[in-house]
Amino acid sequence: MGAIGSYVENIKDAVTTIFEGMAVTASHFVRKPYTVQYPDRTEVRVQDTLPFRYRGILEVDLEICTGCLACERACPIDCIVIAVEKDPATRGMIISQFDIDIAKCMFCGLCSEPCPTGSIHHTTEFEGADFSLESLIRRFVKEPIHAYKAKKGPETDPRLAPILSRGMHYLDQWAQPGGDKPAAGTEES
Amino acid sequence: MNTLRTEEMTLNMGPQHPSTHGVLRFIVRADGEVMREAVPDVGYLHRSIEKIAEKVGYHGFMPYTDRVDYVCAMFTNQGWGMACEKLAGIEVPRRGEYCRVIAAEFNRIASHLLSVGTMAMDIGAMTPFTHAIREREMINDLIEELCGARLTFNYMRIGGVGFDLPPGWREKALAYLDHFDPILEEYNALISYNKIYIERLANVGVIAADDAVNYNLVGPNLRACGVKWDIRKDIPYSVYPDFEFEVPIGSGQWGTLGDAMDRYMVRIREMAESSKILRQALKQLPPGSVLAKVPRNFKPPAGECQIRVESARGDMGWYVVSDGTAFPWRVHVRTGSFAAMGITQKLSRGLMIADLVTLIASLDVIAPEIDR
Repeated sequence: MGAIGSYVENIKDAVTTIFEGMAVTASHFVRKPYTVQYPDRTEVRVQDTLPFRYRGILEVDLEICTGCLACERACPIDCIVIAVEKDPATRGMIISQFDIDIAKCMFCGLCSEPCPTGSIHHTTEFEGADFSLESLIRRFVKEPIHAYKAKKGPETDPRLAPILSRGMHYLDQWAQPGGDKPAAGTEES
Repeated sequence: MNTLRTEEMTLNMGPQHPSTHGVLRFIVRADGEVMREAVPDVGYLHRSIEKIAEKVGYHGFMPYTDRVDYVCAMFTNQGWGMACEKLAGIEVPRRGEYCRVIAAEFNRIASHLLSVGTMAMDIGAMTPFTHAIREREMINDLIEELCGARLTFNYMRIGGVGFDLPPGWREKALAYLDHFDPILEEYNALISYNKIYIERLANVGVIAADDAVNYNLVGPNLRACGVKWDIRKDIPYSVYPDFEFEVPIGSGQWGTLGDAMDRYMVRIREMAESSKILRQALKQLPPGSVLAKVPRNFKPPAGECQIRVESARGDMGWYVVSDGTAFPWRVHVRTGSFAAMGITQKLSRGLMIADLVTLIASLDVIAPEIDR
């Protein structure tokens, strides 16, 4: 095969392989589109379609917070600031400050793991745009509140019971260290 | 008789350039279209991650390892976890190791998809990128369901993994692999076997095998030169000995052994191999716990250790020195992109300016991994 032969061969190769590629592209005209138009053309809110373990903006259920400071210690970047003080009257703990700086938070999830009640947890909320850094600091304590005390046996207070059961369900998603039993809600095989 | 006066020209490519894959600068000395030399200037993304480790402690450093190489964060997670486990002599439960391998291999596919997609885009073919990213998003969906994040996973913990597989995840993962294998063929038909694409990549940036070894290239870049070296096979770690898989090496069938096309095809073949590993791992998944008992106040005994992980960008080394306190005394990461960056200066001599982009893309350089 001479120079002209390989020249023609090259052109033939180029044209056929381009047509093969075009065929793939053309086949996508009859397939279902993969893209969705965010945020206004989705049937349900995107937040509602996210998986349970999604690590969105942090939230605290102050009603079941025990004031143990485990989350503050676990946070690698110190974006959680908690102030607790002893109540001289009842000898209980009073939480007077619980701030989370969402601007600093890197959504690693290390704070929600050691929480004994599942009080601090990630939501599926991710749209955190705001006009100032100051407003991104979430201040959960409006007025000083008594810390939650874990009871022996199930929670009896009808107001706290559903919050606590949600918290415990959240905690069940984590793999418990050393537990031979896989965490609840995970796959058995 | 007057000859045309020529002059050497110095060009700056980057730091902000769409095809440098991050903040990366090249100082190019060019004679017309031909480069005399392209000197890489790294350091724009230095975040002192190694120093941060000395301040945040062992558990707290795990999310930072995600930022070392954000395209394949599972491997940096695994490297850090393995280093700490070796220091403290912790044994990871078998199911934990399997979960690690499953997550890591999915991440390898995602990383290679990004690599081959952006490679086509850098060269000028826009469509393959959207195809690759579409597949990568599906993997991200799976990983998001597994660990709650799409990019900075923080999935692994010292002593295992943070979460077990959610219910029904295994079936979803297998269904995805069934969908992925034909897609890889489709992707090949779309771009890999395209004559123009091959012509653009073949014989560009040829690395000889001994050069690759001398310059310390690792991973797919090394294997494309015909050197069969894969940490998963040669220094087995985790549960990789349980699986049967091939280590693809460059063939040189499109041009010269060790050219850009070989590096591209090695990545394509590795995705198929990862898919094979995943099928075996999902099938053999043992029951049991996924996380070993590790104290929250983790203090490994004084000592040092070195760990090697085969990440998507090659042999990743973690060197940790402990002095017995809750904070590591010294941490060092050795990454594949840094070595790949070192060889660009040699390869760029006599290359066309337009081929520099091909060269960087084919070496699969991730800028934050160079500097840490």
